[in-house]
This record gives sequence, structure tokens and C-alpha cells, in this order.
Amino acid sequence: MRISPTLTQVVLNALNVSDQAEQTALEQMTTGRRVNQASDDPAAAASEVNIAYRMDGCDQYLRSISSLQSEMQTADSSLNSAVTALQNAISLGVEGANGTLSQQDRATLAQQVDGITQQILGVANLSYNGHYLFAGTANAQPPYVADPSVPGGIAYQGNDNVNSVEIETGQSVAANQPGSALFSATGANVFQALSDLATALRNPDGTTDEIGNATTELRTAYDQLDQARAFYGNTVDQLTSVQGFLNSEQVQLSQQQNSAVGVDANVAATNLTNAEQARNATVQAAASLNGMSLMDYLSTTTV
Amino acid sequence: MSSLTGTMWIALSGLEAQQAGLQTSTNNVANLNTPGYSRERPILQEADPIISGNIAFGDGVQVQGIESLRSNLLDLQISDETQQQSNSQAFVNAMNQVQTLFPDDTTGIGAQISAFFQSLNSLSANPSDLTLRQDVLTAARSMASAFNDTSNQLTQTQQQLGLQVQQQTQQVNQITQQIANLNLKLSELSSTGQDYAGFLDQRSALIQQLSGLVDVSQINDGKSLTLTTKGGVPLVVDGQSYSLTTAADSTGTQHIYSAQGDDITSEISGGSLGGILQARDQAIPALQTNLDSLASGLVQALNTAHQEGTDLNGNPGGNLFQSVTGTGAAAAMTVAISDPTLLAAGSDGTSGSNGNIANLSAVANQDIANGLTPSGAYGNLVFQVGSGISSGNTELAASNAMLQQLQQQQASASGVSLDEEASNLLLYQRAYQASAEAISAVNQMLQVVINMGAGS
Repeated sequence: MRISPTLTQVVLNALNVSDQAEQTALEQMTTGRRVNQASDDPAAAASEVNIAYRMDGCDQYLRSISSLQSEMQTADSSLNSAVTALQNAISLGVEGANGTLSQQDRATLAQQVDGITQQILGVANLSYNGHYLFAGTANAQPPYVADPSVPGGIAYQGNDNVNSVEIETGQSVAANQPGSALFSATGANVFQALSDLATALRNPDGTTDEIGNATTELRTAYDQLDQARAFYGNTVDQLTSVQGFLNSEQVQLSQQQNSAVGVDANVAATNLTNAEQARNATVQAAASLNGMSLMDYLSTTTV
Repeated sequence: MSSLTGTMWIALSGLEAQQAGLQTSTNNVANLNTPGYSRERPILQEADPIISGNIAFGDGVQVQGIESLRSNLLDLQISDETQQQSNSQAFVNAMNQVQTLFPDDTTGIGAQISAFFQSLNSLSANPSDLTLRQDVLTAARSMASAFNDTSNQLTQTQQQLGLQVQQQTQQVNQITQQIANLNLKLSELSSTGQDYAGFLDQRSALIQQLSGLVDVSQINDGKSLTLTTKGGVPLVVDGQSYSLTTAADSTGTQHIYSAQGDDITSEISGGSLGGILQARDQAIPALQTNLDSLASGLVQALNTAHQEGTDLNGNPGGNLFQSVTGTGAAAAMTVAISDPTLLAAGSDGTSGSNGNIANLSAVANQDIANGLTPSGAYGNLVFQVGSGISSGNTELAASNAMLQQLQQQQASASGVSLDEEASNLLLYQRAYQASAEAISAVNQMLQVVINMGAGS
């Protein structure tokens, strides 16, 4: 067989191949990725779209959780102070039911009860980031306003609705408790109980039984508030636990992403070394093809 | 019978034959690096013997012609493989531009879809906040403009490819005209019995160039040559070339017409024209269709969800996006509202309700386009464009390897070897010297004969 006399093309082809291998290895080294265009591995690229979407989702859920956490902690600590104030009011009621007290003393107690009412009203009308926390979803206005026409003198103008916020795929938490479940529940209205207690304390013809009844009414309202506010503490705990889950999911997703499109640094380095060696070998081979032919010998020996 | 003058003539034919050999070898060396050149050699034949009685005396050597050492079969195979190789190369080049429009990471449509649903989740924590509402509208606009840009750039790529179709069709016409001219020359030369090997080389090189542009079928009966597309559209018949023309249709798409005026755009399957047309008329429209169905699915689902809710003023929600469906949906996607209070986040008519955000967010997990979720459908687009290029690359690598091997085979048959030419030159030179020596010997002998006459 006649050997192809034109080796240049062969050398060029070989150089082209090793150049390409070197370029690929270098790109993988510098980007740390095996898939740099979708065509490198279409299925891996498509799954990266999904992984990136879920990672973005985790980031967002974590942001929402942290914003919910601070709102709920604010709500919880304010409610905590309301509960303490109510405990004080109950003590005032118990003290007021003592038969040895003068009417003057009871009037002083009633004044203190009024002060507690104002303090709790402040908590009930607490606003956070431009909205009222305990107004249900009608949270653009303060939920509790003075209204002499209603029993207790303070009317609820919020609603009973609850917002929910998605905190991980397919899981949502309630984001608020309406005032109607905290301060003005049917049969357990904090403001009415406080008002009844103050009225009973002020009534010169009143009996200690009346004060005792008003105190019992206040205890019921207290129990309702204390139970309902547990929602905030429980939700904060739930948020913290989902936060932990999302953090570990991020780690997992980033591992998935790496195994889909990333490249092992050792493998990339080895590939690069191999490609460089192959290229050097080809270049050396090309250099040895220095165009010597029979012509050279004839010109020096026979002419 | 033999004679001294006859011997002289034999030696002279030897001189001529060796000169012919020297000339072809020298020509081979001169064309060592000429692309498309096939090495040549003289066809030497023993002259008819002179019969004297029952003795046949050799009568020297005749130069029959110069033959070009090329394999027609290899030429055909190279032409076919070149068509495939250029087809894959042109397709991959075109689609590589398209691929950048569908990134799989933090940019492009996928990222914008993701950002839109994130902005909804942010708003759910504080639904009456105007800044957060504005963020949702901004994210919706960014998402719409990502769809617009991607769709428009697909259309622009198609237009650029249309320009290439025009240019390459002109190149096809130039080459077919040159081939027709060569055919004319070849038939003149062959009818007068002249050597035409050099023109065959030129024609063969032109056919390879043509194969790089378009699919070519050859009918070569030795002298006359007919070139058609694989679909049978004539390009060259003997000395006549048939020009293709291009013209834009009503949508501005360039079509290719045969000399007879038939639209042959869809028939062209090889060469770079074939690859460009495959990208322009098949791969890109398929992407555009899926992009449109993703856009219209997303718009419809989000509008339906948006209409279920109430805005900041307690009014029922309208369309979040202008209603678009079918072809052109991605290019036309537009956010319908600019006032953040009109975003229907609520479900009970109060400003603080976020009840409808759950409906809007649920669209992220709904099957809205060909049974896929929004991000799933985008992932599918990434896969679609990537796998098209990936299989194009595989075909390209196979064609390249095949073509290299064929070219190697052709070079081993037709390539000029300096070693070979050096030894041939030596042989021809020595034979020339020997023939000249013979003439000199005959000359001396004739001198002897003449002197014999003078001396008597």
C-alpha cells in the first residue's frame, strides 16, 4: 500500500483534537463545572433548572420565615405583657372583693383597672410594618375603638380572617390571630371583663360577690388570651424547625447540583494534565516532520 | 531489418519519453502543496515492433499521454461526507447562538419565573405593603420581557440565517457556473485528444466546494457531467449551469427556488445550506412553539388565579397579563396593570388579606404547558436546545473522523511524494543520459561508415 505522503493534515487534525481536549479540561477547571452549555449534557442541564428553581425557593422561604419570625416574636412579647397586666387586674379584683376595704380604696383599685385597660388596648392595637397585628385581615385600621354603645365600651372593628404564608413547598402556616380570638372572644371579652370589674369596684352599693363575679369573668377572659397567644410561640417554634429543614435542604440541593453539573477538581486537573501531555507529544511529533526527503540526500551526494 | 538510422530513432523516442517523465515529475514537485492536485505520470507504451522476416525488432517507446492518479469513488465518498459534515457544522453553529438564550442557571426566563413566584411569597407576609406589591409587578414585567427578548432573538436568528441562505445560494450559483465552463473546456480538449488532467482536478475541487454548500448528486459518464441536488433539481448539465434563486415570502422568510421556479427550500438536506435550513425551519420554530405555549399557559393560569382575588380597594381582580394565546404569545406577553393597588392579593375584600396569593403561587406547581409546570417547561426547553446541539455534535464528530480518513485515503492515492519524485527524476535522468549515449554511439558508428566511403 502506498503511504499517504502528506502528513501535515494528519498532524493538524491531531493537534486540533488535543487542543479541543485541552480547552474542555481548562474550562472545566476554571468554572468547576462539567456542564457549561446545555449541549454538554442536556439532561443534567434540565435537571439543574429544576434544582436552581428549588434552591431559589429555599432562599425565598427562608426570607419569609425570618420576616414572619420577627413579626411573631413582637406579637408574642406584647401579648406576654398583656397577660401579665391581666394577672395584675385579677389580683386587684381579688383584693377588691375583700370586705374590709373602704369604698375609697375600691375606687383607687378601679382606677388601676382602668390603667390596665388602656395598657391592654395599646397591645391590642399594636401595629407592625404598617399593619395592625390583631385585626384579622382588616388590618389597615386599629381593631379596637372606644364605642359607648357596646358592652364594655370598646368595639372590635377587625374581622375573624387569618392569612397563611407558604413556608416550604406545600406547607403553610397561619400568620396571625385575629383580636376576636384573643381579646374579644364571645364569652371571654377582656375589655368587657375589665370594664365590669371597674364598674363593680366603683359601685358604692355593690357587693363583694359582684366584684368576685367580675373577677371570675376576668379569669375566663385571661384563660382565653393565654391559650390563644400560645399560637405565636408554637408558630415561632415551627418556623425555627422548618428553617433548619430548609437549611439542610439547601445543602442537599447544592450537592445534587454539583453531582449533576459540577466536576471533580481532581478529575479536571488530571484531564488537563493528560490533554497538555497529548498536545506536547503531537507538537514534538510535528517538529520531527521537518520535510527531509530523498531530494535532500540526492542534492548533497550526487550533484 | 535493423538500421543505424532506425536505432537513432529508437534512441530519440527514448529521449522524448524520459523528457515527458521529467516534465511530469517536475510538475508533481511544483504542485506539491496545490490543494486538489492529483499526482500525474506519463503513460508509456512500447512502440509497435518492426517485423523483418521472422524477427520482430522493438521500435522504441511512445508517450500515450499523461494520467492523473485519482479515485473517482473516493471523490464521490468525500463529496457525500462533506455534505453531511457541513450540514452538521452549520446546524451546530446556528444552534449554538440559540443555546445562549436558554441558560440553565441564574439568568433568563427560568430565573425570572422563579423570581416572580418568590416576589409573591414575599408579599404574602405583608400583603398590604405597596413596595412589596410593586416588587411583584416589577418581577412580572421582568418575566414578560424575558419571554419577549428570547422570542424576538429567536426570530432575529432566523432572519440572520435567512441572509446566510441568500449568500450561500449565490456561492452555489458561482460554483455551478465555473463547473459548467470547465465542462465546456474538457469536452473541447477531449474531442481534440489533448491532455485535460489538470482541468479534472480543478473541477473535482469545485465539486467538493459545492458539496460543502448543498446536497449534490453526480452523474459522470466519463466525459459529460451532470450535477443535481439529491432531490433531482438540476444544477449543472454538461456546459450549462442552472442558477438557484432566493426570494422572501410574505413573512420575510427567504425561500430557495430552482431555475424552473419551483420552491425547493424544504428539499435541501445537505451541505451548510441544509444545516442552516434545518435550524431555521425546524429546530428554531419547534423551540418557538414550546416557548409560546409556556407563555400562554402561564398567562392564562395566572390571569385565572388573579381574577379569583380582590385588590387593595376590595374590588375583584382583572387580568394580571394581557390575554395572549398561541403563536406569538411569548413575544406579546405584557403585564396588564401598572398600579400596585390593583394587584389582587386578597380573598376577602380587605387590604390585609393575602388569601389569593396562595392561588397565584399554586400556578408554579400546575401543569400549564404540555403537562409541565412553568419551571419544568423551561427545563424542557433547555433540554430541547441542548440535545439538538449535542446530537449535532455527535454527527459532526463522526463526519469529521470519516472525512479525515477518506482524505487520508485520497492523499495516499493522489498525493505527491517527494521521495518518489526524487527517485523518478533520477531514473528519468539516467535513462535520458543513456539514450543520449546511444545516439552518440550511433553517431560514431555512422562516422565510421562515412569514413569507410571516403577512404576507398
